[in-house]
Amino acid sequence: MSQIAHRRARLRMNFAPQAAAAAAPRPAALDITEIRHFALREPVSGTRYSLLKVTTRSGLTGWGECGFDTNADFNALQSEWMGKPANTYATIPPSTPFRAALDIAMLDILGKAANAPVYRVLGGPTRNKVRAWSSPYSQEFPVTVIDVPRPLSRNQGKAYENRILELVNAVPADRDFVLAGNGLLTPGDAASVAFTVEAKHPLWFDEPCSHSNLEALRKISGEVVTPLGFGAGIDDPGVFQGLLREGLIDVVRPDIAIFGITGARRVAALAEPYYVAVAPRHNGGPVATAASIHLAASIPNFFIQHVPIPTSEQDRAMRREIVSPSLEKSSGGFLELTKTPGLGITVNEAALEKYRAS
Amino acid sequence: MRRRNFLALGAASAALAGTKKRPSIEAVDESCGCELQAPGGRGPGRGGPGRGGNGMQAFADLQSGLKVTNMKVFGVSMSPNSDRPYVFVKLETNQGLVGWGEGTLEGKASATMACMNDFRDFVVGADPLQVEHIWQDMYVHSFYRAGPVMGSAISGIDQALWDLRGKFLGMPVYKLLGGPYDPRGVRGYYHVDGATAEQLVEIRQTAKELGVTCVKGGIPGYYEWIERRPKIDQAIKSIQLYRESLGPDIDIAVDFHAKTSPSVASIIVKEVEPLNLLFIEEPCPPENVQAMAKIARRSTTPIATGERLVTSYGTRELIEMGVIDILQTDINHVGGITGLWKVAATADVSGISMAPHSCEGPIGGLAALHVDSAMPNFVVQEICGQIRPNANDKIWEEWFGFPAMRMVDGRFPLSEKPGLGFELSEASLEKFPFGGSRPMARVFSDDGSVVEW
Repeated sequence: MSQIAHRRARLRMNFAPQAAAAAAPRPAALDITEIRHFALREPVSGTRYSLLKVTTRSGLTGWGECGFDTNADFNALQSEWMGKPANTYATIPPSTPFRAALDIAMLDILGKAANAPVYRVLGGPTRNKVRAWSSPYSQEFPVTVIDVPRPLSRNQGKAYENRILELVNAVPADRDFVLAGNGLLTPGDAASVAFTVEAKHPLWFDEPCSHSNLEALRKISGEVVTPLGFGAGIDDPGVFQGLLREGLIDVVRPDIAIFGITGARRVAALAEPYYVAVAPRHNGGPVATAASIHLAASIPNFFIQHVPIPTSEQDRAMRREIVSPSLEKSSGGFLELTKTPGLGITVNEAALEKYRAS
Repeated sequence: MRRRNFLALGAASAALAGTKKRPSIEAVDESCGCELQAPGGRGPGRGGPGRGGNGMQAFADLQSGLKVTNMKVFGVSMSPNSDRPYVFVKLETNQGLVGWGEGTLEGKASATMACMNDFRDFVVGADPLQVEHIWQDMYVHSFYRAGPVMGSAISGIDQALWDLRGKFLGMPVYKLLGGPYDPRGVRGYYHVDGATAEQLVEIRQTAKELGVTCVKGGIPGYYEWIERRPKIDQAIKSIQLYRESLGPDIDIAVDFHAKTSPSVASIIVKEVEPLNLLFIEEPCPPENVQAMAKIARRSTTPIATGERLVTSYGTRELIEMGVIDILQTDINHVGGITGLWKVAATADVSGISMAPHSCEGPIGGLAALHVDSAMPNFVVQEICGQIRPNANDKIWEEWFGFPAMRMVDGRFPLSEKPGLGFELSEASLEKFPFGGSRPMARVFSDDGSVVEW
């Protein structure tokens, strides 16, 4: 065992009595009495996500959302959290199944108990509106998303760069764009694409290549000033720390459906002393949109929020049907803050049955 | 300068101002040519985007209804010559709620009080619920980034804002922060500096009775850059005495108080490895992170530091190196509850634990408990008290009506009351008028040169 590992092990021994003692001493109004799980599927896009409904002894309910995970163990969640106080959102271990949804639902409850919107519970608002961009349906928001074309082979040449340049040139000069690499490019291609679009000033180049290839990222960020964004598949804040430490990331993108509000706030705190912006990832449903609005209004280094509005009107109708009021509306390119306690939304439980994912 | 001279000088310059014509205000360009170009050009005088104003108007539609109407700053000297008068700040509101915070900075009380007053315009008129926004406003718009004086001023105001937040929302602060991990309270430690072998044996017995599981002591004397054998042996023996007298069942921390150079510290740290200390604190001064890291790399005893570091900007390098084990962030200097929470969240990513420092007044100590109880990486909370209550403890109990910062069964209990969980009257502080700033200990070596203490 290394010296550091040895010391850490000794420190953990000292935690143990504390962690083991976390049982609530007596029944309290905010104790969790019921947790329900709704796995949902959008009818046309097929996008799936999970909602949790948490109920407390006092009758307050909170809603949360996380990514759909076939391996997530709902029974384990229940046995771990039934009877625990719903205000202890900070104590959710990162390994908890449905962690993000539980965190968001507990904050929804805490806000309702405090009669305040979640951003106010968390020390906000830090801003009075939330800049947003949207895809795949992006008409309401003034940011264009350019997905890089799927490369025909590995290590493309000049022709590929020119194709991307054409797509970029098609964007009006007064409109912002995000170039989304979607993890499709090799490091070499990512570097040459970043160089190609550098003078076109994208907001940032999202997922130019795998974030795990640090040497490639050093090369790209060492040669090109195009801002780089990462977050896809990252569930460990230490990955962001590694990128921040070396100055390899310009836009930190914790996924709201993985980290929840609290985990994302912790990542934002990590990024703050590096002067790096947070633009949370969000590829799920409308409850997570509400959560991300509260997140944005409670941190200082927020830049922009992605809203995954589907192309199909049928899917958009579903989102409006299950959550009201809809917070996924653009007001001059921004999302509005709610003034309602908690997340500020009502979930139409009856309608959820129609969209159950099998 | 004596006060009378100062007044005389003021009168002289006033007389001077009377004879010389002052240029008209229009003729003086105070700008630095760095006008902010906000979206839509330079903003209106107050509120909107751009330069000037207090920024509150942008949130006119999102107010909680609570508004800070007054800020009072108190210097509280527990003895007339105290080197660390408590610096308390009280925020009054339009709804009768008041919030208390502490920004005690040893040796620099007057400077911290003046700095708090410099922040008056950031606070009075603000919605205290917007603590993160106000924090950023104070920190960023100070332009010169926070050192200990500004950090302590921000810390006091931040704690008072959190106290108000909790009271307005009807919850203890630790619940707003998502805690507690342990409803029984927060594990803590007392100090045993300077105790003899007999006293330590007695402390061991008392600790057992009281359920106290951890204590901290220091090392004797002062140290040169490189030390001679007798001095090193004396330091090692003094640490061994703690373990021998206190027994194997109590966690022992040892504070080097940055008396030692990295070279000397490393030698002592290595020799005391078999004692299984909980941690060794500040084995060298805090400015040079690489020096601290050098000690930590050669030690299997956990290394703790950080009480003098301000904001998460100040801890960034230590944390990203990930080589020390424990941060001892002080809620009265780091930037209050907001600052301590951010440092803890950031440290957790490196697997670094938190043992927050508290050697000032009771408000900061009580505020720290709230953050401690919501940290996944919390180890232990300091209080600079003894295992048996002393005169200070008695006064604190009179102020608050409960034994503040005294452990029950080895833990500081958490209050169920909203906010920071206490009431404090201005009248109770009047018995301890501000005696002015006094320097901390100034220690000199045999040859008259300056040494750390």
